[in-house]
Amino acid sequence: MASVLVVDDAAFMRMMLKEILEKNGLKVVGEATTGDEAVRLYKELNPDLVTMDITMPEKNGIEALKEIIAADPDAKVLMCSAMGQQAMVLDAIQAGAKDFIVKPFQEDRVMDSIRKVLR
Amino acid sequence: MSQSEYLEVFIDESEEHLQAINDNLLKLENEPDNMDIVSEIFRSAHTLKGMGATMGFEDLANLTHNMENVLDLIRNGELEVTPEVMDIIFDAVDDIEEMVTDIASGGDGSRDIQEITKQLESLQGIETEDAGEEVAATATAAPTTETSDEIEETFDEYELTVLSQSEEQGYKAFKILVTLDEKTMLKGVRVFMVFETLEEAGEIIKSTPSAEDLENEKFELSFVVTLLTHESKTDIQKRIEKISEIASVKIEEVNVKQEKQKKLALEEKEHQEAQQKEEKGTKGKKEKKPSQQSSSPKEKSSSNKKQKGMELNKTIRVNIDRLDVLMNLFEELVIDRGRLEQISSELNNNELQETVERMSRITGDLQEIILNMRMMPVEQVFNRFPRMVRSLSRELNKKVKLEIIGADTELDRTIIDEIGDPLVHLIRNSLDHGIETPDERVAKGKPEEGIVKLRAFHSGNHVFIEIEDDGAGIDKEKIMNKALENGVVTDEDLEKMTDQQIYSLLFASGFSTAEKVTDVSGRGVGLDVVRTTFESLGGVVTVDSELGKGSLFSIQLPLTLSIIDVMLVEVAQEKYAIPLTAIVETAIVEKKDVYNAHNQKVIDFRGKVVPLVFLDEIFDAPLKNEEQDFYSLVIVHKGEKVAGLVVDSLIGQHDIVLKSLGNYLTNVFAISGATILGDGQVALIVDTNELIK
Repeated sequence: MASVLVVDDAAFMRMMLKEILEKNGLKVVGEATTGDEAVRLYKELNPDLVTMDITMPEKNGIEALKEIIAADPDAKVLMCSAMGQQAMVLDAIQAGAKDFIVKPFQEDRVMDSIRKVLR
Repeated sequence: MSQSEYLEVFIDESEEHLQAINDNLLKLENEPDNMDIVSEIFRSAHTLKGMGATMGFEDLANLTHNMENVLDLIRNGELEVTPEVMDIIFDAVDDIEEMVTDIASGGDGSRDIQEITKQLESLQGIETEDAGEEVAATATAAPTTETSDEIEETFDEYELTVLSQSEEQGYKAFKILVTLDEKTMLKGVRVFMVFETLEEAGEIIKSTPSAEDLENEKFELSFVVTLLTHESKTDIQKRIEKISEIASVKIEEVNVKQEKQKKLALEEKEHQEAQQKEEKGTKGKKEKKPSQQSSSPKEKSSSNKKQKGMELNKTIRVNIDRLDVLMNLFEELVIDRGRLEQISSELNNNELQETVERMSRITGDLQEIILNMRMMPVEQVFNRFPRMVRSLSRELNKKVKLEIIGADTELDRTIIDEIGDPLVHLIRNSLDHGIETPDERVAKGKPEEGIVKLRAFHSGNHVFIEIEDDGAGIDKEKIMNKALENGVVTDEDLEKMTDQQIYSLLFASGFSTAEKVTDVSGRGVGLDVVRTTFESLGGVVTVDSELGKGSLFSIQLPLTLSIIDVMLVEVAQEKYAIPLTAIVETAIVEKKDVYNAHNQKVIDFRGKVVPLVFLDEIFDAPLKNEEQDFYSLVIVHKGEKVAGLVVDSLIGQHDIVLKSLGNYLTNVFAISGATILGDGQVALIVDTNELIK
């Protein structure tokens, strides 16, 4: 079972995503609410996949992504963005994010992306 | 997890973010150049948008999206923070608040947002017509989805040269038609991912539409890429299919000779088309400019880096019901502790006594923790007032500054929930009737801007909330006249009344001093409701005022509702508890000092006529005690009125746990609940407010 670290500052979003993931047989091993926490938990838990929100206080998702990739170039990070964040998503992809999903999350869309990233 | 649980979190978090937006907007008004604040607001709006869209509240998502665009303009220095801009944003926030409220009360959060959307868009310099033409331009620029089997692509002279040269070098050339899923969002990024993937495999020499157009999302769903590579067709296919949101991939090898012929044939026609395309392309670009700037990406990321949000406290969310259950269980424990203490003192066993003492200490600490857990800063209630004062003072054309002092003072959650509305009323009252118009103030030699102070502080077992204004003050004469006119009091009453008592008449029902009835307050209902609400919470409201200088409304509230200080009394061998907050003092009077007045037994107590209330009659107590020569009295008050409760004996002061009587016994006259005493006996808690009419 693949392990996932869910990163989002909104509890609501984490809950939503967690449910989708767990319903589809993935194991959410950790939840982080800030970029710093995400980096720390990644190193600690070494999950198969990270879902990373872009807009977060203090350290945003892109900075966290860069730190994670620097620590583990094979890290599989899936960015979560909202409409209108085109440039930031591009930045993230260039920085090594494997894919992105756009809020509002649709289960099939999320799982499609995750399967492709994990393959 | 059920939908409703999501909804709960959604509503909670939405409210938090709305509050953050409100607070930050008010801050922004004072420091219009502080972009950190704008970033904070932006972040909150962004989160709201994401949550709203996820829950399917489209109006909410659309409105926040629009607001976000405006905020972005401000952040990029393209829009100035003027009062007009702030008004529109505040209006938008109001709309969002309405939606969230609607959702919270079970609605679908839909709302007519056309008007506000138009306003927000006008700030962004968008006119609706632009969008239409843009779409038209995009549509022509994009290749239409193929109907024939062959992928349509034309190459110019230079491209054909490159193609034939690379063919000679052993490269294969593929035309790749990629069609995106129709639900794809952020198409530009998707295209980028396709390009990136393809560039790992070879070299892209051409794309239709152009890379620039693709990146700017000026295409519908499909685009054609020409790739030079050593890899096989199926490998390329696999690579692209790994990317999500790709509906289909079609790959064809380029036949260079055929392409050359095709080119010749099409040359003439293409020439014309290209011209047309160019015209439309530039037109579209020009029109798109304003909206493009609004989501200008590079700047967004750089200012995002600067964001230093507020510190996050580690907290968990616990449903208030669970805390109530915990409190209840703990209360049971307190009752058993009382039993144990009594048993251990009877048995006189040393070890048992030690253990029980230890347990008592621990439950004492536990009680403090549980009570603290239920405590919340009054900030919760206070933080909606700055907004209210702002809009109200604009409405009334007054200049008012609200000062909040002691917002971190903590109160029981149950009380917090109740005091919001009555406080709103009192503050409105201060603004409407208290603070004068700027002209009047200047004429009186006061500063133009009035000050309303909202103050909260602890004092003993109570929390005080005060609302003080430096306005006109209360006109005693006016109140007296009005009270007489409305039959609230008689001439005789008035003569005996102190200033404070006269001010308190404001809280009598059917009373209003405002000469003009405004939207804000002054309908003559309300202040009495305010008083009743506070009193039902065990609070006391007092008013003080100085004509021309201002007034002070002071509310005294208990720290918590569930554990209260009472005086235990005995009436006909039954025990009753009287809340200490209601008690003025206790007294013993001889029977001969009791008089009859208007069919009512009264005493002359410290110069006042105090009616007596016989608890054994009220509660129909079956067992009568022996007649004594004197009455034991507990003097209680409700506001300014007092009464003497006649009891058989006074037992003493106790901390008790308030338990409701449950659903079987509702509306029991003058009993607000019950408690279990250390010895297992039940004592009823007297609601003195009902005994004083």
